[in-house]
Amino acid sequence: MTYVKYGSIILITLVIVAGIGIPMSLEPAGFFEFPLIPGLEDKARNIFFHVPTAWTSVLAFLVGTFFGIRYLRTKNIEDDYKSVSAAGLGLLFCILATVTGALWARFNWGTFWNWDPRQTSIFILLLIYGAYFALRSAIESDEKRASLSAVYSIIAGLTVPFFVFVMPRMMAGLHPGARDDPSGKGPLMQSGMIAGNMRVFFYLSLLGFTLLFIWLLNLRIRAARLEHEHSRQQH
Amino acid sequence: MEEFLAEHQLYIVLGIVLLIWGGIVLYLLRLDKKLAELEKLIKKG
Amino acid sequence: MRSALSSTFALFQKDLQSELRTRYALNALLMFVVTSVATILFALRSDQPSPSTLSGMYWVVVFFTAMSSLSRIFVSEEERGTTMTLQLVASPSVVYFGKLIFNAVLTISLTVAVTLLYTIVFSEYFIIKSSSIFFATVLLGSLGFAAAATIIAAIVAKANTRGTLYPVLSFPILIVLLMTVMNATTKALEGAPFSDALEDFQILAGYILVMTGGSFLLFDFVWKD
Repeated sequence: MTYVKYGSIILITLVIVAGIGIPMSLEPAGFFEFPLIPGLEDKARNIFFHVPTAWTSVLAFLVGTFFGIRYLRTKNIEDDYKSVSAAGLGLLFCILATVTGALWARFNWGTFWNWDPRQTSIFILLLIYGAYFALRSAIESDEKRASLSAVYSIIAGLTVPFFVFVMPRMMAGLHPGARDDPSGKGPLMQSGMIAGNMRVFFYLSLLGFTLLFIWLLNLRIRAARLEHEHSRQQH
Repeated sequence: MEEFLAEHQLYIVLGIVLLIWGGIVLYLLRLDKKLAELEKLIKKG
Repeated sequence: MRSALSSTFALFQKDLQSELRTRYALNALLMFVVTSVATILFALRSDQPSPSTLSGMYWVVVFFTAMSSLSRIFVSEEERGTTMTLQLVASPSVVYFGKLIFNAVLTISLTVAVTLLYTIVFSEYFIIKSSSIFFATVLLGSLGFAAAATIIAAIVAKANTRGTLYPVLSFPILIVLLMTVMNATTKALEGAPFSDALEDFQILAGYILVMTGGSFLLFDFVWKD
């Protein structure tokens, strides 16, 4: 856990310094200059912070469902703490991804919300998290709450593959890399643009946010465990 | 210094973001320590 | 195997008989359909709805009506205190499929009611130009609805705030189905050839299979106390 802790601190600090600090120019020379993309300009720096939050919220959903499945197998309440802690963090990062995405969309695409496939996906993920916590708050028994919410998160996870097929057929994509992006693969994912230095910091940021998620998850699980121990000692 | 910052305003943003991130990190480290102490306490009790 | 099938059917018959005796769900369902369609008519007045608007409103009515009635299948067992008896006399998979069949029948009759009402009140605009697409969509859509709604109903029956919780839990699960059936219904109203909607039907069939299979595997954990 020490590596996770200090790794996340160092990596995210590095990405903040590099992501905001490295100057941009139309003809980048060397490692310490980012390409300046007309129309995107300094807003491109968002990619180091917005995308990792979305990635973390999806990761949290997977981790939460994984521990949900494990709870159903073991009936160990410890697995339920892990599941709900991951879901709580997932909700936090999901809100961050939605808000940062909407702000970026406002200044790049003109409106806060466009219902492009990825915006719709994050909206549905938000709804799933909301429903998950609404369900949990409506059940009193600990075991019942744990198993029912685990079942719900699995059922919700089952619908995810369908979105991959359904959404691109229903709505136009605006995110880079979307199917009907006019420039094919989208400016950010074109090999010449994000390749090299931006790509390095982007992946470092993903790694840093993943480590931060693991650290936060560890803190939340330990707090939940303490709460449980405490209430058991009192009874 | 002031002239430099007025010309490169992005570095002001960088400073503010680093300050916020530093605050969050300090908070998390303290929380981590506190939990470790409580864990010790509850193990004894 | 045979006894499992016959007891599934027996359970379905039991639910159907008690439903036909009281007509609780059916009456509520019909009134719900009539009131929501009337509200849409008030809102539209003399506007000319497009096929996509109509197909959207068609499934909005189906969604909310289903949400008002499909959870009863398990909630009524909890309210009457018959859950324990059912747990003793029938295996979980029998219970699940019995309830699933009942909900599927209920959803299909719901879509029949909405379709009839729509053809009457929107006689100029709601014209099913491609009936093969329409019937396949409604049938597969109803089955998909029932598959997802039944497991959520089983979950909700164990919680406290059932009425409000049901649509909240169901909507994220049903979004993908709603998108697909709305898309296919628009094609049916526009009179597209059957092959145009084939991909929609593949998605619907996959959804039904995955939801039913997943629910079947997970039902044990919901049903047993």
